[in-house]
Amino acid sequence: MRFGLIIGLAAALGLGAAPAAAKEWTQLRIATEGAFPPYNMHGPDGKLIGFEIDLANDLCGRMKVKCEVVAQDWDGILPGLNAGKYDAIMAAMSITPKRMEVIAFSLPYAASPTVFATTKGTGLAGLPGDGVRVDLGDAATAKTAVDAMRDKLKGKSVGVQVSTIQADFLNTYFKGVVDIRTYKTSDEFFLDLGAGRVDAVLAAAANIKAAMDTPDGKDIAFTGPMFAGGPIGMGSGIGLRKADADLQGMFNTALKAAAADGTLARLSLQWFKIDLTPPVLKQP
Amino acid sequence: METLGLLGFGPGGWGGLLLRGAGMTVLVSATAFVLGLALGGLGAWAKLSRFRAARAVATAYTTVLRGVPDLLVIYLFYFGGSQVLTAAGRLFGQEGFMGLPGFLAGALAVAVVSGAYQTEVLRAAVGAIPRGQWEAGRALGLRPGPNLRLVLLPQVLRVALPGMGNVWQLVLKESALVSVTGLVELMRQVGVAAGSTRRPFEFYAAGAAIYLLLTTLSGAGFGWAERRAAWDAKDRAGAA
Repeated sequence: MRFGLIIGLAAALGLGAAPAAAKEWTQLRIATEGAFPPYNMHGPDGKLIGFEIDLANDLCGRMKVKCEVVAQDWDGILPGLNAGKYDAIMAAMSITPKRMEVIAFSLPYAASPTVFATTKGTGLAGLPGDGVRVDLGDAATAKTAVDAMRDKLKGKSVGVQVSTIQADFLNTYFKGVVDIRTYKTSDEFFLDLGAGRVDAVLAAAANIKAAMDTPDGKDIAFTGPMFAGGPIGMGSGIGLRKADADLQGMFNTALKAAAADGTLARLSLQWFKIDLTPPVLKQP
Repeated sequence: METLGLLGFGPGGWGGLLLRGAGMTVLVSATAFVLGLALGGLGAWAKLSRFRAARAVATAYTTVLRGVPDLLVIYLFYFGGSQVLTAAGRLFGQEGFMGLPGFLAGALAVAVVSGAYQTEVLRAAVGAIPRGQWEAGRALGLRPGPNLRLVLLPQVLRVALPGMGNVWQLVLKESALVSVTGLVELMRQVGVAAGSTRRPFEFYAAGAAIYLLLTTLSGAGFGWAERRAAWDAKDRAGAA
């Protein structure tokens, strides 16, 4: 519902807000959420920090433009781009066909597989296919992996963040099998997992890993396969207005350069403890 | 201890930012309340007017604004407003983005909604004052201005104050919705802190406590004003 509303609103606003002729980019405003560690967050001094802030500064240096990263509430982030409040979004936003109806994306800069997590020692630990990478783009493989998990997940409650690719995944593959509980933010469902109010959660592996590293998260464990491709998408990309094809080209060139000289992998390891450089950027 | 540090004012503590957020919440709410009161006064006048057109406009205003989600009104002002402004700017040869700042758009949106409620509060309060009061003032030779200020308004205020207190509380809580514009008021600040530190319980609890403090304090303020208005009225009645 909410996703639909925001997309609709963004589409409606996009009609009147397309910038005029191509301009020379000297200054950029980049929006981020500022509350989604380790991608983007605030420090207690009120300053923005995180993987995407470091990456944005690196990319802007490569593109020789002056950048300002601004914090924006997630609910209003898509309409704000098309309304022209900023020129780009770097907010752990997954590239999906649905979003591509409204905005354009750069190449992905971080691709985290999606995975279930549960509490250590409960009945859902060690689901079939534990740790195996499953490509959802391949229908047969996807079906085998999902069928293998269905019985154990039947009737269990699974927490997921609203308007995310993970929510779409659950609706596609596990509708009617599991009791889908949607949450507004990811920390809410981790909290409920700890409290035993949901049996499992579904989220990006990097996101779960970050939760595991907190004092309350030491009992969280991955379970079942690591899903990638298909509805999970290609990873997080930089969101841009469709009219700004030149800016898209500049970002893609800068991203490839950052991947080639190892900067992207270094930042990824620094913030996520795992390298999330997407496969497409590794190709020459 | 760790929690205290997190919410405190030392290094690594979010206390200062939370306080600033609370200040912004009060500022947005107060702006919206005052603007809403002005709109409400205008609306009440229109509703009680003898012109049918004014009555129709006021009825449409209160019906629509009380029947539409506040979040939608905020989106309309913030995103819709900037679209209209940008289009208008282009018409006059002004390229590039123009928009309402989050504070202005948010305060205006909440003001317009609360104005609809204020209209009803004030209309009911005016309705509670016998017409004879106005006529008596006229008979004593008071012109409409002084008659309104000296005779009618003090009585209206006494009846309207409890309702206005309710609207204020509504505005204070609705200001949390303005966080969607990216304005760093209390709700947005608490959400950012909860997300960034992954300590949602501490920060949302602190946020709740601060909102409760604000509503309790302002509730006490309105209570005092109500007693004073009532006492004033008694005093004057006795003197007369």
